[in-house]
Amino acid sequence: MNKTPLFDTHRDLGATIGDFGGWSMPLWYKTGQLKEHIATREACGIFDICHMGEFIVTGKDTLAFWNRLLSNAITAMVDGQAMYNFMLNEEGGVVDDCILYRFSATHWMLVVNAGTQDGDLAWLKKHQSGDVKIENIGPATGKLDLQGPTAPKVVAKLVGKEKLAELKFFRFIPEIVLGGVKCLLSRTGYTGEVGFEIYCPINETKKLWDALMSAGAEFGITPAGLGARDTLRLEAGLPLHGHEIGPTLPAVGTPWEFAINYDHEFIGKAALLANRGKYFVYPVIVEGRRKPGSHAHAVVGGKECGEVTSDILAVSLDKKPAGFIRTTCELKSGDALTLKNAQGAEFAAKVMDNPLWKGTSRKKMDSFL
Amino acid sequence: MANYIVPNDLRYTKTHEWAKDLGGNKFRIGITDYAAKHIGDVTYVELPHIDDELDKDEPGCVIETVKSSEDVYNSIGGTVVLENGDILNENPEIINSDPYGEGWLYEIKAKSADDFKALMSREEYEKLLEELGD
Repeated sequence: MNKTPLFDTHRDLGATIGDFGGWSMPLWYKTGQLKEHIATREACGIFDICHMGEFIVTGKDTLAFWNRLLSNAITAMVDGQAMYNFMLNEEGGVVDDCILYRFSATHWMLVVNAGTQDGDLAWLKKHQSGDVKIENIGPATGKLDLQGPTAPKVVAKLVGKEKLAELKFFRFIPEIVLGGVKCLLSRTGYTGEVGFEIYCPINETKKLWDALMSAGAEFGITPAGLGARDTLRLEAGLPLHGHEIGPTLPAVGTPWEFAINYDHEFIGKAALLANRGKYFVYPVIVEGRRKPGSHAHAVVGGKECGEVTSDILAVSLDKKPAGFIRTTCELKSGDALTLKNAQGAEFAAKVMDNPLWKGTSRKKMDSFL
Repeated sequence: MANYIVPNDLRYTKTHEWAKDLGGNKFRIGITDYAAKHIGDVTYVELPHIDDELDKDEPGCVIETVKSSEDVYNSIGGTVVLENGDILNENPEIINSDPYGEGWLYEIKAKSADDFKALMSREEYEKLLEELGD
């Protein structure tokens, strides 16, 4: 099992450790998942995300390479911009969902999920052609996520407000020094709140963690585990690979169609077009206090038409059970359905608008400083 | 190595429940500190009703956490005589902080004392936790 440089730090904080994509990661700390979730919504959560994968891709044919491999409108990207993308297979299934960073037209970074990174690298290499060089910097790279409405203040304390004031959503600063550590600072995240994904040399991760914890003490910084990360992303309307999206699930009819740009030719496009109108993904809220369970069947008008792909609590929505469903029938917000689990228990549920929770992620940076 | 509290005066199951002998063939049931730390924050408990007849090893109640639903297996066959709804309905997370005290679940009048005797002692349960390597 892989460990991040912060494993002992997590243990010292009373973390319950679990396996995630081959990594021993903190699920929650002594604080508890509910409080970690709420701290991220109201103040600032700090997450160890060193397990995720990073690839640097360079060369004069890289733009064509990305246009072939990724789904979003990459040609329109500018230097210093990040963009959410699907990397699809020929069947339109999601090899991985990822964030592409553009340093320049010939220099990029792709950030991918932990459990899928080996397959992703193989997929990239399989399609490598012309002047495209791929370097796996994952093992050399640490990553900390700082998320929540006081996160900008924490970073501003280390670098000054001026450096941050103009940083927009899905833009990044390629090089900035935080607490003596040279970092890439990206205004992105997986929680729906304003915040940053911060990349650093792996052996300086602990130094960065300590600097952020110290700067954040007066702003309510709270170490948060993967449990809170999951409930936060669900409310923020974001998918988890292997649940809402995956290699065998065509990425059509999802709330993440915004990441698919049909104006360019990419692997999987034909399959997506062929599967339009056949698959759908919706967020749901379940009545009562019990969760139906992952893979519970979705029944609409007496007909089974899908299943639950994520099943957790919407902590910020009065702790109601919530989740995503994948269906073969088209539904709309407000539609009623029944979720039936393996034990035969039935739960009344309702289709909701995505996202369930509108956080601070898109607000102007200077309103937080 | 995490440390878990394992009181001496209780008996234990492989599925991390505890039972306490209250005398008169009555037993109090709860989940262990190990279980409480591993399931995460408890958000709701569906308790059995008073006078429910529960067989040994059937689910006695359900604990909902943020992430999952956990069945609590009833280790002693008998009739439910008391449940802890007064505390747990208002404050389910007390199971995380005080699993052997205020976070108890229900009390059962046993059909026979044999079920209790068959449960693990503290030493046996600690050995199980060691084997789990956590």
